[in-house]
Amino acid sequence: MDRAAPLSAIRSRLRLASAIGALLALLGTYIVSTTARADAAPGINAIRVAEFPADCTYSHRLPDDPIIFPGLPGASHMHSFFGSTVTNAHTTLPDLVNSPTTCNPRVDVSSYWVPTLYNNNVPVEPTIATFYYLGEGVRADVVAQTQPFPLGLRLVAGNARAAGPGESIARWSCLHAGHVPPSKNFVNCPAGTMLESYLDFPQCWNGRDLDSPDHKSHLAYPVNQACPATHPVHVPKLRQVLRYPVSGDPSRFRLASGPGYTMHGDFFNAWPVEEMSRRVRDCIRPVIKCGHDGRPI
Amino acid sequence: MRVSVAVPSTLLIAVLLAAGCSAGSPQVAGPSPASAPPPVAPTSEAVPPQGSSGPFGATDIAWLQLTVAMAERLLPVLDLVPARTTDRAWRRLAARVEASHRADLARSHRLLGVSGAPATNPHEGHDMPGMVTEDELATLRSATGKTFHRLLAGHLRAHLSQSVRIAAAAQRGGIHPATTALAAAVVRGGTTELARLDRLDRPPIATPTAGIAAEPADRDAQAA
Repeated sequence: MDRAAPLSAIRSRLRLASAIGALLALLGTYIVSTTARADAAPGINAIRVAEFPADCTYSHRLPDDPIIFPGLPGASHMHSFFGSTVTNAHTTLPDLVNSPTTCNPRVDVSSYWVPTLYNNNVPVEPTIATFYYLGEGVRADVVAQTQPFPLGLRLVAGNARAAGPGESIARWSCLHAGHVPPSKNFVNCPAGTMLESYLDFPQCWNGRDLDSPDHKSHLAYPVNQACPATHPVHVPKLRQVLRYPVSGDPSRFRLASGPGYTMHGDFFNAWPVEEMSRRVRDCIRPVIKCGHDGRPI
Repeated sequence: MRVSVAVPSTLLIAVLLAAGCSAGSPQVAGPSPASAPPPVAPTSEAVPPQGSSGPFGATDIAWLQLTVAMAERLLPVLDLVPARTTDRAWRRLAARVEASHRADLARSHRLLGVSGAPATNPHEGHDMPGMVTEDELATLRSATGKTFHRLLAGHLRAHLSQSVRIAAAAQRGGIHPATTALAAAVVRGGTTELARLDRLDRPPIATPTAGIAAEPADRDAQAA
Protein backbone atom coordinates (compact mmCIF):
# COMPACT_ATOMS: atom_id res chain seq x y z
CA MET A 1 0.00 0.00 0.00
CA ASP A 2 2.79 2.41 0.85
CA ARG A 3 3.93 2.04 -2.74
CA ALA A 4 0.56 2.65 -4.32
CA ALA A 5 0.30 6.35 -3.34
CA PRO A 6 3.60 7.54 -4.81
CA LEU A 7 2.88 5.50 -7.92
CA SER A 8 -0.43 7.23 -8.59
CA ALA A 9 1.16 10.60 -7.89
CA ILE A 10 3.83 9.83 -10.43
CA ARG A 11 1.24 8.68 -12.92
CA SER A 12 -0.70 11.91 -12.69
CA ARG A 13 2.53 13.81 -13.23
CA LEU A 14 3.09 11.61 -16.25
CA ARG A 15 -0.30 12.43 -17.65
CA LEU A 16 0.58 16.09 -17.29
CA ALA A 17 3.90 15.50 -18.98
CA SER A 18 2.08 13.73 -21.74
CA ALA A 19 -0.22 16.67 -22.25
CA ILE A 20 2.72 19.05 -22.39
CA GLY A 21 4.34 16.70 -24.85
CA ALA A 22 1.27 16.90 -27.06
CA LEU A 23 1.59 20.67 -27.13
CA LEU A 24 5.25 20.45 -27.96
CA ALA A 25 4.33 18.21 -30.86
CA LEU A 26 3.85 21.40 -32.84
CA LEU A 27 7.60 21.87 -32.54
CA GLY A 28 8.63 18.34 -33.30
CA THR A 29 7.53 14.73 -33.17
CA TYR A 30 10.57 13.42 -31.33
CA ILE A 31 9.52 14.72 -27.92
CA VAL A 32 6.00 13.43 -28.33
CA SER A 33 7.11 9.93 -29.20
CA THR A 34 9.53 9.79 -26.29
CA THR A 35 6.97 10.98 -23.78
CA ALA A 36 4.24 8.75 -25.11
CA ARG A 37 6.51 5.72 -24.87
CA ALA A 38 7.43 6.57 -21.28
CA ASP A 39 3.79 7.08 -20.43
CA ALA A 40 2.82 3.71 -21.84
CA ALA A 41 5.60 1.78 -20.10
CA PRO A 42 4.55 0.35 -16.73
CA GLY A 43 7.88 1.19 -15.16
CA ILE A 44 8.71 4.82 -15.79
CA ASN A 45 10.12 4.73 -12.29
CA ALA A 46 11.62 1.27 -12.86
CA ILE A 47 14.87 0.42 -11.18
CA ARG A 48 17.35 0.01 -13.99
CA VAL A 49 18.72 -3.37 -12.93
CA ALA A 50 18.08 -6.46 -15.06
CA GLU A 51 16.83 -8.83 -12.42
CA PHE A 52 14.11 -11.19 -11.28
CA PRO A 53 14.39 -13.35 -8.14
CA ALA A 54 13.22 -16.65 -6.71
CA ASP A 55 13.39 -16.96 -2.94
CA CYS A 56 13.44 -20.65 -2.11
CA THR A 57 13.64 -21.75 1.49
CA TYR A 58 15.37 -24.95 2.57
CA SER A 59 13.43 -28.07 1.61
CA HIS A 60 15.34 -31.23 2.55
CA ARG A 61 18.70 -32.96 2.87
CA LEU A 62 19.85 -36.10 1.06
CA PRO A 63 23.24 -37.62 0.11
CA ASP A 64 21.91 -37.63 -3.46
CA ASP A 65 22.69 -35.76 -6.69
CA PRO A 66 20.47 -36.39 -9.73
CA ILE A 67 22.90 -34.52 -12.01
CA ILE A 68 26.24 -35.95 -10.88
CA PHE A 69 25.09 -39.34 -9.59
CA PRO A 70 21.76 -40.03 -11.31
CA GLY A 71 20.13 -43.25 -10.08
CA LEU A 72 22.65 -43.71 -7.27
CA PRO A 73 21.03 -42.77 -3.94
CA GLY A 74 23.58 -42.25 -1.18
CA ALA A 75 26.47 -41.81 -3.62
CA SER A 76 27.02 -38.14 -2.90
CA HIS A 77 28.14 -36.03 0.00
CA MET A 78 25.21 -34.47 1.87
CA HIS A 79 23.26 -31.89 -0.11
CA SER A 80 20.73 -29.31 1.02
CA PHE A 81 17.90 -28.92 -1.48
CA PHE A 82 15.87 -25.78 -2.29
CA GLY A 83 12.87 -25.34 -4.57
CA SER A 84 11.16 -28.56 -5.62
CA THR A 85 10.47 -30.69 -2.55
CA VAL A 86 10.66 -34.03 -4.39
CA THR A 87 14.27 -34.06 -5.62
CA ASN A 88 16.30 -37.21 -5.00
CA ALA A 89 18.85 -39.34 -6.89
CA HIS A 90 16.24 -40.54 -9.39
CA THR A 91 14.71 -37.16 -10.24
CA THR A 92 14.14 -36.27 -13.89
CA LEU A 93 12.34 -33.31 -15.46
CA PRO A 94 8.82 -34.84 -15.37
CA ASP A 95 9.23 -35.34 -11.60
CA LEU A 96 9.90 -31.63 -11.11
CA VAL A 97 7.12 -30.29 -13.30
CA ASN A 98 4.03 -29.84 -11.10
CA SER A 99 5.97 -30.78 -7.95
CA PRO A 100 5.49 -28.77 -4.76
CA THR A 101 8.12 -26.08 -4.26
CA THR A 102 9.53 -23.94 -1.49
CA CYS A 103 10.05 -21.07 -3.93
CA ASN A 104 8.45 -17.69 -4.08
CA PRO A 105 7.18 -17.51 -6.82
CA ARG A 106 5.37 -20.83 -6.64
CA VAL A 107 5.70 -21.29 -10.39
CA ASP A 108 9.40 -21.98 -9.93
CA VAL A 109 9.53 -25.75 -9.46
CA SER A 110 13.22 -25.90 -10.35
CA SER A 111 15.59 -27.71 -8.06
CA TYR A 112 18.66 -26.06 -6.55
CA TRP A 113 21.13 -27.79 -4.25
CA VAL A 114 24.40 -27.13 -2.45
CA PRO A 115 26.73 -29.06 -0.12
CA THR A 116 25.39 -28.92 3.43
CA LEU A 117 27.16 -26.53 5.83
CA TYR A 118 28.14 -27.97 9.21
CA ASN A 119 28.86 -25.99 12.37
CA ASN A 120 30.71 -28.28 14.80
CA ASN A 121 29.35 -31.19 12.75
CA VAL A 122 25.75 -30.00 13.16
CA PRO A 123 24.02 -29.19 9.87
CA VAL A 124 23.04 -25.54 9.41
CA GLU A 125 20.61 -24.41 6.73
CA PRO A 126 20.34 -20.93 5.22
CA THR A 127 17.54 -18.80 6.64
CA ILE A 128 17.51 -16.87 3.35
CA ALA A 129 18.23 -18.49 -0.01
CA THR A 130 17.78 -16.26 -3.04
CA PHE A 131 18.35 -17.22 -6.65
CA TYR A 132 18.72 -14.04 -8.70
CA TYR A 133 18.40 -14.15 -12.47
CA LEU A 134 20.47 -11.23 -13.75
CA GLY A 135 21.46 -9.48 -16.94
CA GLU A 136 24.92 -8.18 -16.09
CA GLY A 137 28.57 -8.81 -16.81
CA VAL A 138 28.09 -8.40 -20.57
CA ARG A 139 27.54 -5.45 -22.92
CA ALA A 140 24.09 -3.83 -23.01
CA ASP A 141 23.42 -5.14 -26.52
CA VAL A 142 24.13 -8.69 -25.30
CA VAL A 143 21.76 -8.23 -22.34
CA ALA A 144 19.10 -7.06 -24.80
CA GLN A 145 19.33 -10.40 -26.60
CA THR A 146 19.11 -12.63 -23.53
CA GLN A 147 17.31 -15.94 -24.05
CA PRO A 148 15.53 -17.93 -21.33
CA PHE A 149 17.20 -21.01 -19.85
CA PRO A 150 15.92 -24.04 -21.78
CA LEU A 151 13.52 -26.25 -19.85
CA GLY A 152 15.34 -29.22 -18.32
CA LEU A 153 18.79 -27.59 -18.33
CA ARG A 154 21.14 -29.12 -15.76
CA LEU A 155 24.10 -27.07 -14.65
CA VAL A 156 26.80 -27.10 -11.98
CA ALA A 157 28.82 -24.05 -10.87
CA GLY A 158 31.76 -23.89 -8.50
CA ASN A 159 34.42 -26.52 -7.85
CA ALA A 160 33.59 -29.28 -5.36
CA ARG A 161 37.09 -30.68 -5.87
CA ALA A 162 38.95 -27.41 -5.31
CA ALA A 163 42.19 -28.18 -3.50
CA GLY A 164 42.70 -24.54 -2.57
CA PRO A 165 41.20 -21.05 -2.90
CA GLY A 166 42.99 -20.58 -6.24
CA GLU A 167 40.79 -23.24 -7.83
CA SER A 168 37.54 -21.72 -6.62
CA ILE A 169 35.02 -19.08 -7.64
CA ALA A 170 33.24 -19.22 -4.27
CA ARG A 171 32.72 -16.00 -2.32
CA TRP A 172 32.02 -15.80 1.41
CA SER A 173 31.12 -12.58 3.21
CA CYS A 174 29.06 -11.24 6.10
CA LEU A 175 25.53 -9.86 5.85
CA HIS A 176 25.38 -6.42 7.54
CA ALA A 177 29.15 -6.37 8.04
CA GLY A 178 30.54 -5.05 4.79
CA HIS A 179 33.85 -4.15 6.40
CA VAL A 180 34.79 -7.86 6.59
CA PRO A 181 36.64 -8.53 3.33
CA PRO A 182 35.07 -11.28 1.19
CA SER A 183 37.06 -14.46 0.79
CA LYS A 184 36.97 -17.71 -1.16
CA ASN A 185 36.96 -19.53 2.17
CA PHE A 186 34.80 -19.01 5.27
CA VAL A 187 35.11 -15.60 6.95
CA ASN A 188 34.83 -14.60 10.60
CA CYS A 189 31.57 -12.65 10.87
CA PRO A 190 30.87 -10.37 13.85
CA ALA A 191 28.27 -11.56 16.35
CA GLY A 192 24.77 -10.66 15.23
CA THR A 193 25.60 -10.87 11.52
CA MET A 194 25.17 -13.80 9.15
CA LEU A 195 27.66 -15.74 7.08
CA GLU A 196 26.74 -15.43 3.42
CA SER A 197 27.77 -17.30 0.29
CA TYR A 198 27.66 -15.93 -3.27
CA LEU A 199 28.01 -18.10 -6.35
CA ASP A 200 27.58 -17.00 -9.97
CA PHE A 201 26.64 -19.55 -12.62
CA PRO A 202 27.93 -19.23 -16.20
CA GLN A 203 25.62 -17.31 -18.54
CA CYS A 204 26.68 -18.30 -22.06
CA TRP A 205 25.02 -21.44 -23.44
CA ASN A 206 26.15 -23.51 -26.42
CA GLY A 207 22.55 -23.37 -27.64
CA ARG A 208 22.34 -27.13 -27.96
CA ASP A 209 22.88 -29.27 -24.85
CA LEU A 210 20.82 -29.55 -21.67
CA ASP A 211 23.79 -31.24 -19.95
CA SER A 212 27.39 -32.23 -20.70
CA PRO A 213 29.76 -34.96 -19.44
CA ASP A 214 31.26 -32.66 -16.80
CA HIS A 215 27.86 -30.95 -16.25
CA LYS A 216 29.53 -27.57 -16.83
CA SER A 217 30.98 -27.20 -20.30
CA HIS A 218 27.68 -26.72 -22.15
CA LEU A 219 27.84 -23.24 -20.61
CA ALA A 220 30.71 -20.79 -20.29
CA TYR A 221 31.49 -17.54 -18.55
CA PRO A 222 31.60 -14.37 -20.68
CA VAL A 223 34.82 -13.14 -22.23
CA ASN A 224 35.34 -9.40 -22.74
CA GLN A 225 31.72 -8.59 -21.84
CA ALA A 226 30.35 -10.96 -24.49
CA CYS A 227 29.60 -14.63 -25.03
CA PRO A 228 32.32 -16.62 -26.80
CA ALA A 229 31.63 -18.07 -30.26
CA THR A 230 31.54 -21.59 -28.81
CA HIS A 231 28.73 -20.57 -26.43
CA PRO A 232 26.90 -17.82 -28.31
CA VAL A 233 23.53 -17.80 -26.53
CA HIS A 234 23.29 -15.34 -23.65
CA VAL A 235 21.04 -16.60 -20.82
CA PRO A 236 20.42 -14.97 -17.43
CA LYS A 237 23.28 -15.04 -14.94
CA LEU A 238 22.04 -17.17 -12.06
CA ARG A 239 23.41 -15.80 -8.78
CA GLN A 240 22.93 -18.00 -5.74
CA VAL A 241 22.96 -16.09 -2.43
CA LEU A 242 22.70 -18.06 0.81
CA ARG A 243 22.53 -16.49 4.27
CA TYR A 244 23.43 -18.85 7.13
CA PRO A 245 22.50 -18.06 10.74
CA VAL A 246 26.07 -18.51 11.99
CA SER A 247 28.93 -16.16 12.80
CA GLY A 248 32.28 -16.17 14.55
CA ASP A 249 35.22 -18.56 14.40
CA PRO A 250 35.18 -20.17 10.93
CA SER A 251 37.29 -23.14 12.06
CA ARG A 252 34.03 -24.68 13.31
CA PHE A 253 32.56 -24.67 9.80
CA ARG A 254 32.88 -27.20 7.02
CA LEU A 255 30.93 -28.04 3.90
CA ALA A 256 29.92 -31.61 3.10
CA SER A 257 32.37 -31.27 0.20
CA GLY A 258 35.22 -29.87 2.32
CA PRO A 259 36.52 -26.34 3.05
CA GLY A 260 34.58 -23.19 2.14
CA TYR A 261 36.25 -22.92 -1.27
CA THR A 262 34.61 -26.22 -2.33
CA MET A 263 31.23 -24.43 -2.38
CA HIS A 264 29.27 -25.31 -5.50
CA GLY A 265 25.71 -25.19 -6.71
CA ASP A 266 23.55 -27.42 -8.87
CA PHE A 267 20.61 -26.09 -10.90
CA PHE A 268 17.95 -28.20 -12.63
CA ASN A 269 15.69 -25.79 -14.53
CA ALA A 270 11.96 -26.57 -14.38
CA TRP A 271 10.50 -23.07 -14.69
CA PRO A 272 7.39 -23.17 -16.90
CA VAL A 273 8.63 -21.97 -20.29
CA GLU A 274 6.16 -19.10 -20.52
CA GLU A 275 6.92 -17.84 -16.98
CA MET A 276 10.64 -17.65 -17.60
CA SER A 277 10.21 -16.21 -21.11
CA ARG A 278 7.99 -13.44 -19.77
CA ARG A 279 10.53 -12.50 -17.10
CA VAL A 280 13.40 -12.48 -19.60
CA ARG A 281 11.31 -10.32 -21.94
CA ASP A 282 9.96 -7.91 -19.30
CA CYS A 283 12.85 -7.73 -16.79
CA ILE A 284 16.20 -8.83 -18.22
CA ARG A 285 16.17 -7.50 -21.79
CA PRO A 286 14.74 -4.04 -20.94
CA VAL A 287 16.92 -3.88 -17.77
CA ILE A 288 14.16 -3.59 -15.20
CA LYS A 289 14.21 -4.88 -11.63
CA CYS A 290 11.28 -7.22 -11.11
CA GLY A 291 9.72 -8.81 -8.05
CA HIS A 292 8.85 -12.43 -7.42
CA ASP A 293 5.84 -12.11 -9.74
CA GLY A 294 8.12 -11.10 -12.58
CA ARG A 295 6.64 -7.60 -12.77
CA PRO A 296 8.54 -4.33 -12.34
CA ILE A 297 9.00 -3.33 -8.72
CA MET B 1 41.26 -52.70 -35.57
CA ARG B 2 38.11 -53.75 -33.81
CA VAL B 3 39.24 -57.34 -33.57
CA SER B 4 42.68 -56.48 -32.31
CA VAL B 5 41.13 -54.47 -29.45
CA ALA B 6 38.33 -56.85 -28.66
CA VAL B 7 40.41 -59.97 -28.23
CA PRO B 8 42.83 -58.62 -25.63
CA SER B 9 39.89 -57.01 -23.82
CA THR B 10 38.15 -60.34 -23.45
CA LEU B 11 41.34 -61.96 -22.29
CA LEU B 12 41.97 -59.14 -19.86
CA ILE B 13 38.54 -59.54 -18.33
CA ALA B 14 39.01 -63.28 -17.99
CA VAL B 15 42.37 -62.79 -16.30
CA LEU B 16 41.10 -60.07 -14.01
CA LEU B 17 38.07 -62.11 -13.06
CA ALA B 18 40.29 -65.06 -12.23
CA ALA B 19 42.50 -62.84 -10.08
CA GLY B 20 39.70 -61.07 -8.26
CA CYS B 21 37.75 -62.74 -5.50
CA SER B 22 34.61 -61.13 -6.84
CA ALA B 23 34.62 -63.50 -9.81
CA GLY B 24 32.01 -66.18 -9.83
CA SER B 25 29.41 -65.65 -12.46
CA PRO B 26 30.19 -67.02 -15.93
CA GLN B 27 27.89 -64.58 -17.67
CA VAL B 28 30.02 -61.69 -16.45
CA ALA B 29 32.86 -62.74 -18.72
CA GLY B 30 30.57 -63.92 -21.50
CA PRO B 31 29.39 -60.76 -23.21
CA SER B 32 32.40 -59.05 -24.67
CA PRO B 33 31.95 -55.29 -24.39
CA ALA B 34 31.99 -53.25 -27.52
CA SER B 35 35.31 -52.66 -29.13
CA ALA B 36 34.17 -49.61 -31.05
CA PRO B 37 33.60 -46.73 -28.63
CA PRO B 38 29.99 -45.63 -29.03
CA PRO B 39 28.89 -42.20 -27.87
CA VAL B 40 27.04 -41.90 -24.60
CA ALA B 41 23.70 -42.55 -26.24
CA PRO B 42 24.31 -44.21 -29.58
CA THR B 43 21.64 -45.19 -32.03
CA SER B 44 20.92 -48.88 -32.25
CA GLU B 45 22.84 -49.31 -35.50
CA ALA B 46 25.96 -48.05 -33.75
CA VAL B 47 25.99 -51.18 -31.59
CA PRO B 48 28.61 -53.58 -32.91
CA PRO B 49 27.65 -56.95 -34.40
CA GLN B 50 28.07 -58.79 -31.09
CA GLY B 51 25.17 -56.68 -29.80
CA SER B 52 26.20 -57.50 -26.27
CA SER B 53 27.14 -54.04 -25.16
CA GLY B 54 24.52 -51.46 -25.99
CA PRO B 55 24.44 -47.84 -24.97
CA PHE B 56 25.59 -46.42 -21.66
CA GLY B 57 23.10 -44.60 -19.46
CA ALA B 58 23.82 -41.73 -17.09
CA THR B 59 23.72 -44.10 -14.12
CA ASP B 60 26.22 -46.47 -15.75
CA ILE B 61 28.74 -43.69 -16.31
CA ALA B 62 28.25 -42.01 -12.94
CA TRP B 63 28.74 -45.34 -11.17
CA LEU B 64 31.87 -46.25 -13.16
CA GLN B 65 33.40 -42.85 -12.38
CA LEU B 66 32.56 -43.16 -8.70
CA THR B 67 33.90 -46.73 -8.57
CA VAL B 68 37.21 -45.51 -10.01
CA ALA B 69 37.39 -42.66 -7.50
CA MET B 70 36.58 -44.93 -4.55
CA ALA B 71 39.02 -47.68 -5.55
CA GLU B 72 41.79 -45.14 -6.05
CA ARG B 73 41.14 -43.82 -2.56
CA LEU B 74 41.21 -47.25 -0.92
CA LEU B 75 44.34 -48.67 -2.58
CA PRO B 76 46.79 -46.41 -0.66
CA VAL B 77 45.22 -47.70 2.57
CA LEU B 78 45.67 -51.32 1.52
CA ASP B 79 49.25 -50.58 0.45
CA LEU B 80 50.04 -49.68 4.07
CA VAL B 81 48.95 -53.02 5.51
CA PRO B 82 52.11 -55.15 5.01
CA ALA B 83 54.24 -52.50 6.72
CA ARG B 84 51.87 -51.76 9.60
CA THR B 85 50.87 -55.24 10.78
CA THR B 86 52.32 -58.73 10.92
CA ASP B 87 48.93 -60.34 11.51
CA ARG B 88 48.47 -62.86 8.71
CA ALA B 89 44.66 -62.78 8.75
CA TRP B 90 44.59 -58.99 8.25
CA ARG B 91 47.27 -59.20 5.59
CA ARG B 92 45.33 -61.90 3.77
CA LEU B 93 42.09 -59.91 3.87
CA ALA B 94 43.87 -56.78 2.62
CA ALA B 95 45.46 -58.73 -0.22
CA ARG B 96 42.08 -60.14 -1.28
CA VAL B 97 40.40 -56.74 -1.22
CA GLU B 98 43.31 -55.21 -3.10
CA ALA B 99 43.20 -57.85 -5.84
CA SER B 100 39.47 -57.44 -6.37
CA HIS B 101 39.72 -53.66 -6.37
CA ARG B 102 42.56 -53.58 -8.88
CA ALA B 103 40.51 -55.86 -11.10
CA ASP B 104 37.38 -53.73 -10.72
CA LEU B 105 39.42 -50.58 -11.35
CA ALA B 106 40.83 -51.97 -14.60
CA ARG B 107 37.37 -53.03 -15.79
CA SER B 108 35.87 -49.66 -14.83
CA HIS B 109 38.60 -47.79 -16.68
CA ARG B 110 38.10 -49.94 -19.75
CA LEU B 111 34.32 -49.52 -19.74
CA LEU B 112 34.70 -45.77 -19.33
CA GLY B 113 37.05 -45.81 -22.30
CA VAL B 114 34.40 -47.58 -24.33
CA SER B 115 31.75 -45.11 -23.22
CA GLY B 116 33.85 -42.13 -24.20
CA ALA B 117 33.26 -40.49 -20.81
CA PRO B 118 36.15 -39.09 -18.75
CA ALA B 119 37.62 -41.51 -16.20
CA THR B 120 36.91 -39.19 -13.32
CA ASN B 121 33.85 -37.26 -12.42
CA PRO B 122 34.91 -33.61 -12.47
CA HIS B 123 32.41 -32.72 -9.81
CA GLU B 124 32.65 -35.19 -6.99
CA GLY B 125 34.34 -33.84 -3.90
CA HIS B 126 37.34 -35.01 -1.98
CA ASP B 127 35.38 -36.30 0.95
CA MET B 128 32.72 -38.54 -0.47
CA PRO B 129 30.85 -41.11 1.62
CA GLY B 130 32.99 -44.20 2.24
CA MET B 131 36.21 -42.45 1.25
CA VAL B 132 39.29 -42.23 3.46
CA THR B 133 40.38 -38.62 3.91
CA GLU B 134 43.97 -37.38 3.75
CA ASP B 135 43.95 -36.85 7.52
CA GLU B 136 42.72 -40.37 8.17
CA LEU B 137 45.39 -41.77 5.87
CA ALA B 138 48.04 -39.84 7.79
CA THR B 139 46.76 -41.30 11.07
CA LEU B 140 46.91 -44.81 9.60
CA ARG B 141 50.52 -44.29 8.54
CA SER B 142 51.62 -43.92 12.14
CA ALA B 143 49.34 -46.55 13.72
CA THR B 144 50.33 -50.13 14.53
CA GLY B 145 48.92 -53.27 16.14
CA LYS B 146 45.39 -53.26 17.50
CA THR B 147 44.92 -49.56 16.83
CA PHE B 148 45.82 -50.07 13.21
CA HIS B 149 43.49 -53.09 12.95
CA ARG B 150 40.62 -51.10 14.44
CA LEU B 151 41.12 -48.11 12.14
CA LEU B 152 41.60 -50.34 9.10
CA ALA B 153 38.43 -52.25 9.95
CA GLY B 154 36.45 -48.99 10.19
CA HIS B 155 37.69 -47.71 6.85
CA LEU B 156 37.21 -51.05 5.09
CA ARG B 157 33.70 -51.39 6.47
CA ALA B 158 32.73 -47.85 5.43
CA HIS B 159 34.20 -48.34 1.97
CA LEU B 160 32.77 -51.80 1.32
CA SER B 161 29.31 -50.89 2.65
CA GLN B 162 29.18 -47.84 0.40
CA SER B 163 30.53 -49.79 -2.58
CA VAL B 164 27.88 -52.48 -2.19
CA ARG B 165 25.17 -49.89 -1.69
CA ILE B 166 25.85 -47.88 -4.83
CA ALA B 167 26.71 -50.96 -6.92
CA ALA B 168 23.31 -52.39 -6.03
CA ALA B 169 21.72 -49.14 -7.23
CA ALA B 170 23.79 -49.26 -10.42
CA GLN B 171 22.74 -52.87 -10.99
CA ARG B 172 19.10 -51.74 -10.89
CA GLY B 173 19.44 -48.36 -12.59
CA GLY B 174 22.12 -49.04 -15.19
CA ILE B 175 21.35 -50.10 -18.76
CA HIS B 176 24.73 -51.14 -20.13
CA PRO B 177 25.01 -54.94 -19.81
CA ALA B 178 28.75 -55.22 -19.08
CA THR B 179 28.49 -52.35 -16.58
CA THR B 180 25.54 -53.79 -14.68
CA ALA B 181 27.33 -57.16 -14.73
CA LEU B 182 30.36 -55.51 -13.15
CA ALA B 183 28.07 -53.87 -10.59
CA ALA B 184 26.59 -57.26 -9.78
CA ALA B 185 30.09 -58.66 -9.31
CA VAL B 186 31.00 -55.77 -7.00
CA VAL B 187 27.88 -56.41 -4.90
CA ARG B 188 28.74 -60.12 -4.56
CA GLY B 189 32.45 -59.55 -3.94
CA GLY B 190 31.88 -56.70 -1.52
CA THR B 191 29.32 -58.68 0.45
CA THR B 192 31.77 -61.59 0.74
CA GLU B 193 34.57 -59.27 1.84
CA LEU B 194 32.32 -57.63 4.42
CA ALA B 195 31.53 -61.07 5.86
CA ARG B 196 35.26 -61.86 6.08
CA LEU B 197 35.83 -58.51 7.75
CA ASP B 198 33.09 -59.23 10.29
CA ARG B 199 34.83 -62.46 11.25
CA LEU B 200 38.05 -60.59 11.94
CA ASP B 201 36.48 -57.58 13.62
CA ARG B 202 32.95 -57.58 14.98
CA PRO B 203 31.01 -54.68 13.52
CA PRO B 204 30.03 -51.88 15.88
CA ILE B 205 26.34 -52.07 16.69
CA ALA B 206 25.47 -49.46 19.27
CA THR B 207 28.07 -46.80 18.53
CA PRO B 208 28.45 -46.06 14.85
CA THR B 209 31.15 -43.45 14.50
CA ALA B 210 32.02 -43.34 10.82
CA GLY B 211 30.63 -40.58 8.68
CA ILE B 212 28.69 -43.05 6.56
CA ALA B 213 26.75 -44.14 9.63
CA ALA B 214 25.98 -40.58 10.64
CA GLU B 215 24.47 -39.58 7.31
CA PRO B 216 21.36 -41.80 7.28
CA ALA B 217 20.67 -40.90 10.91
CA ASP B 218 20.82 -37.27 9.93
CA ARG B 219 18.39 -37.95 7.12
CA ASP B 220 15.99 -39.72 9.46
CA ALA B 221 16.05 -36.76 11.78
CA GLN B 222 15.06 -34.56 8.89
CA ALA B 223 12.23 -36.79 7.82
CA ALA B 224 10.80 -36.92 11.32
